[in-house]
Amino acid sequence: MLKWWPLFGIRRHLTEKRAYKSPINIQSHYGSIFQRSLFVYILDVGSSNALNFEISALESPQYNIHRFGIFLTDSPRHADVLLILGRPTEVMLAPMNETLNQLPEPYYVITIDDSCDALMMSPYPEMKHHVAQLKGVPSPSEILGLLLAISKSKRIVL
Amino acid sequence: MRLLAGVIETDGNEQLLIIEDGVAQLFFVESEEQRKEFAYYSLLKDRQLHLRNESVSGPGVFRFRYGPVTAGVREAGCFNLYTFGEKILYAGIDLSWKHRRVENAMINKTPQQAVNLAESICSNFALSHSIAFTRAIENALDMKVDMGVQNWRNILLEAERIYNHLHVIAKLASAAAQKVLSSHLSSLFEEALRLNEILTGSRYLMGINDVGGLHHIPSLEDMQHAITTYALISKRFERLFVHSVNNANYMDRLHASGTLTADQAIAMGLSGPSLRACGVKDDLNATISHLIQLPVITQNEGDALARMEVRAEELVNSCEYIIDHLKISDAWNFNSDEKIEPFNQSGEGCGIANSPSGAIAYYVAVNDGLITHAQAFTPSYVGMCAAAFSLDDHIFTDFPFIFDSFGVHFSDAAR
Repeated sequence: MLKWWPLFGIRRHLTEKRAYKSPINIQSHYGSIFQRSLFVYILDVGSSNALNFEISALESPQYNIHRFGIFLTDSPRHADVLLILGRPTEVMLAPMNETLNQLPEPYYVITIDDSCDALMMSPYPEMKHHVAQLKGVPSPSEILGLLLAISKSKRIVL
Repeated sequence: MRLLAGVIETDGNEQLLIIEDGVAQLFFVESEEQRKEFAYYSLLKDRQLHLRNESVSGPGVFRFRYGPVTAGVREAGCFNLYTFGEKILYAGIDLSWKHRRVENAMINKTPQQAVNLAESICSNFALSHSIAFTRAIENALDMKVDMGVQNWRNILLEAERIYNHLHVIAKLASAAAQKVLSSHLSSLFEEALRLNEILTGSRYLMGINDVGGLHHIPSLEDMQHAITTYALISKRFERLFVHSVNNANYMDRLHASGTLTADQAIAMGLSGPSLRACGVKDDLNATISHLIQLPVITQNEGDALARMEVRAEELVNSCEYIIDHLKISDAWNFNSDEKIEPFNQSGEGCGIANSPSGAIAYYVAVNDGLITHAQAFTPSYVGMCAAAFSLDDHIFTDFPFIFDSFGVHFSDAAR
């Protein structure tokens, strides 16, 4: 007989209770207005795909980002944070700038550069509220720590 | 079967990189007949970034541009979908948004420096790229690699297969709004990535493989941990999968979506799970001798469901393969500090690896220890063409099931 699906869900507690530290100090401009909810839009501009996979891992139940009020949104117009993955290819500069134009104030921009130095990728243009620039492939817990530092969430479970 | 993996042009001569019985070999083109043997020859020769670049017209037909900035397809890539509303009449794919010219960056680098670049083509296939590249270099410079290194490479390739297959199946479950299933599969995916980090120091198995050897091998304690964790992942996955295939709603979304016949799959140059789902046995497992033989999993339907079933069965087999190998690890433990030195400083060669989505092949030419020519042939390139072809005549809601079931990536296809 077919078991009811949610039984799988309630029999296991997969969410981890731990603190997540930001890899860098964030200079926030907007106080704690994102404390209750933070909507993040992901934009890949030329990553090697590891960062896309890390975002998928961040959505796993171990991190359970929704308990902190952090959500991934499908539109830049609903976003509080633009998370840019990779250094831009030349042709992705224009779509990236257009995405930046669509962000409603107030917002933050985070960039994660995972490209090899030998690749001739474009540098990031000047961006308003560019609060964090990471290099390499940060783990989901580091990305979550960074988002929690931006949101100044008090709902950090230990 | 004979699989054309790539077409290489050097000094006005054209060579075909053909995989037969698990062995990759280069053949000079001497007659038009050699080219005609493979229907996808021009696709591999031209290596265009705009795939299926035709337009469709008719009453009410318009081009729907999906990408490069969209939450549906997170990578920087673009689909050109011709439609009059609900049905996709013709699908094309634009890879140019993700084209990073990685092969050009390898020129004038030493093989050791270029390994990082090979890994950066597509990080979730980093190990497959790294192994195919180093095998090409080892062939070019006449280096004989230790059996222990070969076995570790095989084990780590299966570790790469496990987390990639988990990712693909989790995405399919998520697209069908199977939230409980996709959450559990995501948690297994994260467990597999963490285990990769314990074994190799990288969640994506980067930086462990090198020309002629490995940078390090996992400790016995880590191997023991891997045996326990892979057994748990396999057990949990099997329970979830068996439960999920009893769900008629879920199966209905995958069944008959993006169906390819065996003849179509062969004519497109597919390899890996997408080809095996059409009932065709490839010989990629025979690319190198295994201590324990891996079975070749096939299905006959050729649709998204068949591709998922092939991946599911391979995932469980890969877990068993790793566990069985690690249990007998003492038999082939070796000192990773002892690297094989190249016999020559110049030469040309090719190498292949059995990635989670099919054959990755490299051609390299080295002169005085520096790379003068490098070409990577990836499974996502032909896979993108097949995915676009499969989208024709389906409705928009089938899009994620068809595209995700091929397990292809823009970064891998665009290089």
